[in-house]
Amino acid sequence: MCPLIKSTYGYHVRKTNPFLEMADLIVAETTCDGKKKMYELLGQTRPTYVLELPQKPNDPDAAGHWRRELVKLQAQLEKRFGVTITEEKLRGAIELMNRERRLRRELAALMQSDNPPLTGRQLLDFKSSISGIEADLQQYQKAIEIFKARLVGVVGAAGAAASQPVRVLLTGVPLVHGVERVLEIIESHGGLVVCQENCTGIKPILEDVECNGDPIQALADKYFKIPCSVMTGTTRRQENLLYLSRLYRAQCIIELTWQACLTYDVESYHIKKLSEEQLGLPYLQIETDYSPSDSARIATRIEALFESIRSQPCFRKTCPSCKP
Amino acid sequence: MISIGIDAGSRAIKIVLLDMDTLEILATGIADQAVRQEQQALDLLNRLMGENHLGSTDIGRTIATGYGRNGIRAADSTVTEITCHAVGVHHLLPSTKTVIDIGGQDSKVISLHTNGTVRDFVMNDRCAAGTGCFLEVVARRLGVELQQMGELAGGSQAPAIISSMCVVFAETEIIGLLAEGTAPPNIIAGVQNSICSRLVSMTGRNTCPPVVFTGGVALVPGMEAALARVLGQTITTAPQPQMTGALGAALLAARQGQEQQKENIS
Repeated sequence: MCPLIKSTYGYHVRKTNPFLEMADLIVAETTCDGKKKMYELLGQTRPTYVLELPQKPNDPDAAGHWRRELVKLQAQLEKRFGVTITEEKLRGAIELMNRERRLRRELAALMQSDNPPLTGRQLLDFKSSISGIEADLQQYQKAIEIFKARLVGVVGAAGAAASQPVRVLLTGVPLVHGVERVLEIIESHGGLVVCQENCTGIKPILEDVECNGDPIQALADKYFKIPCSVMTGTTRRQENLLYLSRLYRAQCIIELTWQACLTYDVESYHIKKLSEEQLGLPYLQIETDYSPSDSARIATRIEALFESIRSQPCFRKTCPSCKP
Repeated sequence: MISIGIDAGSRAIKIVLLDMDTLEILATGIADQAVRQEQQALDLLNRLMGENHLGSTDIGRTIATGYGRNGIRAADSTVTEITCHAVGVHHLLPSTKTVIDIGGQDSKVISLHTNGTVRDFVMNDRCAAGTGCFLEVVARRLGVELQQMGELAGGSQAPAIISSMCVVFAETEIIGLLAEGTAPPNIIAGVQNSICSRLVSMTGRNTCPPVVFTGGVALVPGMEAALARVLGQTITTAPQPQMTGALGAALLAARQGQEQQKENIS
């Protein structure tokens, strides 16, 4: 069992996650078998509704099935809470969340700079502070303005190339609150995580929900396009990585896999191949769990990766392949 | 001037003293790792310096490597053992394409560019299975010396199958084999094969030749042959295989020291 599932269930048993305790209904999803079965246990004492995410996104029946799952959820919600979910209300919520996604994308895009005004760790912290509340969105807007001002101040003031951090694209499993250890190890050993292609990073916010037309269809379209690792027969994650690694000028790809996460572990084969053969970037996979017992060993591997990148002649010069 | 490489490994501390200009090895030394790691390293360093009539003013630059590298305050900087092994082996055997290093708690496979820099590497995770620590546990359990293992394994007719990768589980498995009357040589040969298979599962059988074997485990007789058999390739054990990490650190220190001298002149 992967640590993420154990941890979620641990919060449930110990009643220590305030959001879980406040929830009237848990809307769950079949993004992996472990979670799917965990929700069965969670559902014994908490109202839980599971959405079935299709696993073959290219199958002609898949998109229709996913839309019907959302229609059923809508009916369930209306019945359970005695409300009517109108198109107007849905559009309002879509617009609000689109605004949040835009703000998050804008902040993430600051990392494209030669000398980003914040670290990957700080960027990840911002992710946790946002929740579709108007006041939060305004705070977020202010933060972007402050960081943008800093950006103007430092451009061109970059230090010697040798002391500049190695630009890392971090991919793989999500880094949920409290287990940011690997990101911290990367950034305390000479790296800067310029892009996080995972479910706590940019992966779910690359696209907005279409505001026009049938809102349920628009929601179905948006979430269906996220290349969840439980899916098969799609290369959308690889396409995203190709695009993001160039946009953010990554110098290596580090993939994080939670121990016992089968789908990401197997998929890492494709990502290593993509990284080395198509992108020409060094690739390192870190498989670990939530305990810190292997931190020193992870640090050694990350340091060795950075040493090998820095030893390449193109690191010190302005390498044409490092520029978009 | 001399450069110094200190490899603070999990089981032993290794030191190499190098002439910074000619890159000639002046001295090498080794001491068992213990609780007071830094003192241990300093004692060894002082002994080597004394034996070679060198003083602190002769030292150009010092680099520490190995898992204990950050605890060696005498070092000017640190470099990981992965880079150091690559540099050390490339210096001794420049055509090397793959380095297999098995130490006290690590096993790693490093593939090299033709210029000797690291192309890619794999390393065991938190578990110490398939490392020197594993061999030590087995030797202790069978009541034999590490040095005897190769000879004993050579007499094995039917190597036992050791399927447990965890050191603790493997020990239990060995107790079971002993209880069934399996001869110790067969157990030792089985353990050696199991360490090698573990390594192959890490590399995925794509070790590009020439392959060079380093680390303390390379000194255990029979390991080179077992590795060659499992990989289906010729393996060369590096000269002084325990020293390649410290040598790499000393070479990098020399390189940094020379750069520094140039900067000082210009």
